[in-house]
Amino acid sequence: MSQLSQPLEQDGGLKDSALYDALTRPARIFDYPTDSRAFVRIDASIRIYWHHLFDICPQLLEMSPPDGGAIFRPFMAWADARGLTLDWNWYLWVYDWLLQSEFRDRLNEKVLLEIMGAAAARWAVLDRGRNCGVVIGCRDTANLVVGWKCHKIDEGRQIEMLEIEDLPPPPELFGCFFLPDFELSTFPGWQSLSK
Amino acid sequence: MRLGFNFTLSDTYEMVQRLIAESRIDYVELLIDNFFCVPPSELANAFSCPVGFHIMFSRFFENDRETLRDFARRLRPYIDALNPMYVSDHCARFSHQGRRLFHIGEFDYSRDYDEARERAEFWQAELGTKLLIENYPSIMYGGVEQPEFFERLQREVGVGVLFDASNAVCAYGNIGVPLEKWDRIIASNRHFHVAGYSLSMIEPYVRMDTHGEALAPDTIEFLSSRKDLFDKEGATITYERDNEINYDDIVADLIRLRAIFPKQEATAREPALATA
Repeated sequence: MSQLSQPLEQDGGLKDSALYDALTRPARIFDYPTDSRAFVRIDASIRIYWHHLFDICPQLLEMSPPDGGAIFRPFMAWADARGLTLDWNWYLWVYDWLLQSEFRDRLNEKVLLEIMGAAAARWAVLDRGRNCGVVIGCRDTANLVVGWKCHKIDEGRQIEMLEIEDLPPPPELFGCFFLPDFELSTFPGWQSLSK
Repeated sequence: MRLGFNFTLSDTYEMVQRLIAESRIDYVELLIDNFFCVPPSELANAFSCPVGFHIMFSRFFENDRETLRDFARRLRPYIDALNPMYVSDHCARFSHQGRRLFHIGEFDYSRDYDEARERAEFWQAELGTKLLIENYPSIMYGGVEQPEFFERLQREVGVGVLFDASNAVCAYGNIGVPLEKWDRIIASNRHFHVAGYSLSMIEPYVRMDTHGEALAPDTIEFLSSRKDLFDKEGATITYERDNEINYDDIVADLIRLRAIFPKQEATAREPALATA
């Protein structure tokens, strides 16, 4: 049997539950020594948020080379201050933050649609409610992005882009509504983005 | 021992069909709540072999009872239609103070035992079948409480354990939870998981349950050393692979597992209560 990676003094027998607060807050990693297990644990958690952002929205990484840190860290701190839940819509909050940042002049519809697609896909994968689809709209584009949950065994979730002329734009930056079946036949009105 | 493969997303449908056709696996484990919009009858006809159910996002330690009742109402038609060998779920923290943990947190086994007991009892009753709960690949020291937590939960609530062998190997390597501490749990359960793990990107290197690598030598050694505890009538072991999916690599690991657990004839689907 392979050797143990021996616990370090700095870890003090910490449980994972003692680190929950830090697992979503990149800055908190520096509360722990860099050679501690707690540091590694928080790093592993933070990396997943990073990958979910930049692997899914590579244009954001191109905007903030080399490691996306100029977007990722300030956004996560802002998200913390705003009390965001980091649910499926966190991508849309990234766009909201970008509009208020030094990156605002580098945004375009291509970046926006990538972000809206990422949010729709995340909803389609994570949501466990009864709705079958989500429609996301934004004031900055006439395009809607629709995310459908997997409803055939050999087809995964589906993301579509639509333009519907007679639909009003959302009253806020983003709006969404949910579809109770696999048809886009009704418009129940825009819902505000939840935190 | 029956060998299975986890089917989590439609992307791997053709590959899983090939694994079945070539008799590499005996059953498929469905990440069932990913398929709640696929009609039960379609799912029942999707694979020509028995199935197990693994639930990912019930979040039964966190969600309110009405949400869980609704989740169970949607799951039960799948249990009726597919008659899975087992129904399993996770004991972990998916959120903290309303914030999503993308890398799920380890439960606080001693602090939160009473809550866990109450919720596991409720959740098992709602599902209407025996509930198996998977152990966690501990990184931090609370993991030393895991074996006792699961034994107590089994004894007091009547749930079972979906014992993940490589998660136990990770916990051993990371914090020294003796593998012997799991022996009674292995002996008293029939459904198992195994996967590859990787090391963290930075030091001190810890084992991370990543499902993207070949089975580690110490995992193989662990299974081999306890073959008689694992291998029993109705036993299953699911090989999980969610990253770096390559057919030949997966088959190579399945062959390693088959060498430890020689093939037995697959039987018809059995009721979950009979085998869990």
